[in-house]
Amino acid sequence: MQIKQLTQFHENPAIIAWWCARLGWALRHLTPFRRRAILAAGAVWICFKSTVRIVIDNSADLAGPADGIVAGLLVALALVGIAWLLYRAAAGFSSLPSWVRKHPQLSLHSIYWGFLALLWITLPGSGLWRQVLAGVALIFPILVWRFAYLLLSGQHGRMAGTRFSDHLLTLWPIYGGSNTPYGSGFGYLSRSEAKTEAELARSQLAGIKLLLLCGLWMVVREIMEGTLYGPGNELTHKLGGYTLAVPKLGSLVAGEEGGSPLWISWLAIYCELIHEVLRHAIRGHAIIAVLRLFGFNVFRNTYKPLLAESVVEFWNRYYYYFKEILANFFFLPTFTQLGKKLRNWPTLRLGAAVFAAAFVGNTYYHLINLEMMMVKGQILEALYLHRSRMFYCFLLAFGIFVSMLRQQRRGGRALASGAADRILRIAGVWTFFSLIFIWNVRSGASFTARANFFFGLFGVA
Amino acid sequence: MADERQQRLQGLTDFLRTIQKPGKAIESVGLDESLVACGLIDSLAIIEIVMFLEKNYGIDFAATGLDPDRLATINGILGVIEEVRA
Repeated sequence: MQIKQLTQFHENPAIIAWWCARLGWALRHLTPFRRRAILAAGAVWICFKSTVRIVIDNSADLAGPADGIVAGLLVALALVGIAWLLYRAAAGFSSLPSWVRKHPQLSLHSIYWGFLALLWITLPGSGLWRQVLAGVALIFPILVWRFAYLLLSGQHGRMAGTRFSDHLLTLWPIYGGSNTPYGSGFGYLSRSEAKTEAELARSQLAGIKLLLLCGLWMVVREIMEGTLYGPGNELTHKLGGYTLAVPKLGSLVAGEEGGSPLWISWLAIYCELIHEVLRHAIRGHAIIAVLRLFGFNVFRNTYKPLLAESVVEFWNRYYYYFKEILANFFFLPTFTQLGKKLRNWPTLRLGAAVFAAAFVGNTYYHLINLEMMMVKGQILEALYLHRSRMFYCFLLAFGIFVSMLRQQRRGGRALASGAADRILRIAGVWTFFSLIFIWNVRSGASFTARANFFFGLFGVA
Repeated sequence: MADERQQRLQGLTDFLRTIQKPGKAIESVGLDESLVACGLIDSLAIIEIVMFLEKNYGIDFAATGLDPDRLATINGILGVIEEVRA
């Protein structure tokens, strides 16, 4: 059997037929309706469980007359109510006021900022309503991009035949996720949903493949952490304690490692890139695998980014569903809105759209992720806290813009296909992202310390 | 009507040839096949398609809204053109 046949086993008709024969009864029983119902029931559980947990964890900042559990339950009910109202708005999208129809995403974010404004102008301890509102505002950033996809489905006329419970499964996904909705919204999921036994079998086999890959990358990460970063890794002990003891980039930029040789610093930045890719791949594969087991045969979150030959290709493959947020809610709206004004300046138009997404959108996404600071009105402090990340977003936007321009100007012409050319291009992409990650890595290092570390890599102290 | 559609299809095919990746025959791509998934174009090409439609058919996506999925196939793109023409 060839390697490709082995790795693409989920596409093999004989294996699909075998899977159908073995699990035919289960596949028949698990109709799309039942699969969705299982996920929707899980969503209700997650909604109440996670909301109560978040409210209890933040009870010191969410002071009010109700105790943690009661307040958590009320916040969960309020969030389900908001979700239902947004579902109704999406279902009746054409009857919404014209400004809302034209700017559904701005309207959605206005609701969030309206909640915040109300919190800022009232005193803590103003009553139960404020306690619940603070809880809603605290959790809203986790849901806002999911709500955004719900409205987008309405805008694109894709709500017909969908029930509230269908959308619920993406709002509080039992299959996991972060503030980024893996698998986007239900509109996207439903287009990849298996309708027949064979499609379900194929999707499940694709899910099993991702689970295997997830396991493989976990082992690779363990080996990497043991041999490169060590000590304290079980595998390192089994290998006789041998480790290169490369410092983590976060502690290097913070100057916690003393003076490291230059080659160690360079190694550390490349290791950080690989480690980040592995982290995203492991998490994303596990989540997408569950979706595929439930018959939603959607794209992976991470697809061989380390083999990307351009910055824009890497960005497309590294964290697909985050890129989709930036593309759907920042890039494309900006690009189309500027159609009339900048029709004769296509480069400027492209640049504005890229910066709206990779710089403004990326910064905004991470800013509202500082949920408690938002609730407390510490906007300037949050921006200051994110100053290094903002610079990273700027560099990222610049890199993507240049990469897109190069790709555009190349037209359909092929790149040089020699192995050496390819390796050089891949190395260029690795180096770009490794270098800009200096301003993205989690660390207590100041912006200046990161800049000093960057210049130090080139021998400029 | 059929002639008009044929002309639009020809114009679109000619345009896609200018932005497609090398090594893939556009004739081998089905009208309902995803242009990105089949490897004819990359996802960045959507902005080229948007600009093509704006320039040649006067479509104002700022007013109509842009659904990228509708530009994913040849039939989808032709559908967008026909909607605006209607």
